[in-house]
Amino acid sequence: MSPSELFALIIGVALTVMIFSYILGDRLFFGIATHILIGVSAAFLALVVIQKVLLPYLISPLADHTNAGFLLTLVPLALSILLVLMLFRRGTQAGAIPLAFLGGALAALAIVGVTRGTLAPQILSMIGRFEPGQLMHGAEPQWGVILEALMILLGVISVLFVFHHRGQLKAGNVDRPVFLEGVGSIGQIFIGITFGALFVGLFSSALVALISSLSDIIRFISLWF
Amino acid sequence: MKRPLTLIVGLLSGLAVLVAMFVAPRGGSVLAVVLNWVIVVASVALLVAIASLVLTHLRFIVKGRKGFLLSIVLVLSFIATLALGLLLGVDDPFFLGFVGAIIRPIETALLGLVALVMMSAAMKIFRERGWSVLTVSFGVSAIIFLILGLGFLQNLKIPVLNEAIRFVEALPMIGARGLLIGIGIGLLMMAFRVLFGMEGSGND
Repeated sequence: MSPSELFALIIGVALTVMIFSYILGDRLFFGIATHILIGVSAAFLALVVIQKVLLPYLISPLADHTNAGFLLTLVPLALSILLVLMLFRRGTQAGAIPLAFLGGALAALAIVGVTRGTLAPQILSMIGRFEPGQLMHGAEPQWGVILEALMILLGVISVLFVFHHRGQLKAGNVDRPVFLEGVGSIGQIFIGITFGALFVGLFSSALVALISSLSDIIRFISLWF
Repeated sequence: MKRPLTLIVGLLSGLAVLVAMFVAPRGGSVLAVVLNWVIVVASVALLVAIASLVLTHLRFIVKGRKGFLLSIVLVLSFIATLALGLLLGVDDPFFLGFVGAIIRPIETALLGLVALVMMSAAMKIFRERGWSVLTVSFGVSAIIFLILGLGFLQNLKIPVLNEAIRFVEALPMIGARGLLIGIGIGLLMMAFRVLFGMEGSGND
């Protein structure tokens, strides 16, 4: 093991032990490790933003005023200056304009992204399961495929009923026919199954991380004994 | 209610993006310019947020507020990383190794800690919410997928069992599809509310 690898291992084990001290009820060492993480990540993020975004897209075009993009860069420059003013007590109101610009543009991107990237593909894929070519093999109906398509339709509609039911609960209006209660319960079953599968996936990943951290500590101890 | 100027700026920027997206490729150049502005302004907003974080912790240190030792740790680690990064550059292998040697073990250990927290949270959900359709289906599904994750049943190579496993493994996708459509509709509503000034930043 090279000296740099050993140094990285020592730092890694020390930070891992500090994080696991949380289990013993310690807050100081856990706090130190998390604050180191925040400090290092914030600095790394700031450096990446400055060198990969601001220098090529804001500073470089401004350095050459004969460039065609010079005038176009003045708009984000003005918005950026207004944002920086937010750091000062008297300039907090100035940040409302660039934030409104960001909010509007990001909301528009969300509208396009959600309709084209989520809603349309999901709904089209559900409708696609009812294509006659898929449901019939010649003159023979494919009962397995038909049942699967119907189950998917029922599952999606019942899950959407759960959303609707939660909205009504928030509004204080909970009087619903027994039929709708039944559909909502089916939706809850599907949501429970999905969350259960997601839980297992996340739990498995976390368990692998736990084993990896513990094996690092064991490797470090075995170096000395 | 928002001020008229912020409302107009938000609406104009949103409509510019929407129009450019829907008339693309004719609006491609307009879209590229607006997206460039969005990237730059969002990056500056991120830098302002980081500066605000560091300034807040500096204020804690100066005032000697409870827990200021942690603020010293944060500010020192921030300054050390920033100085090293400015000196060597973001792409330098030594700098990347330094950042990785600190971030990787902490993130892995935190994820490991999540495994323990998730175990107790799974038990807690039955205590707090009781036995309902949702909690029972969640518990049964978690146990079944844990067993399936072992791969033992798949290795038995029984055709009927494999067919049943394939059916069970497809079930979460149905719920996920419904959840995605529901969340998508919710997001769409929220985006329209932000666009028309009924929600979000810039409120008086």
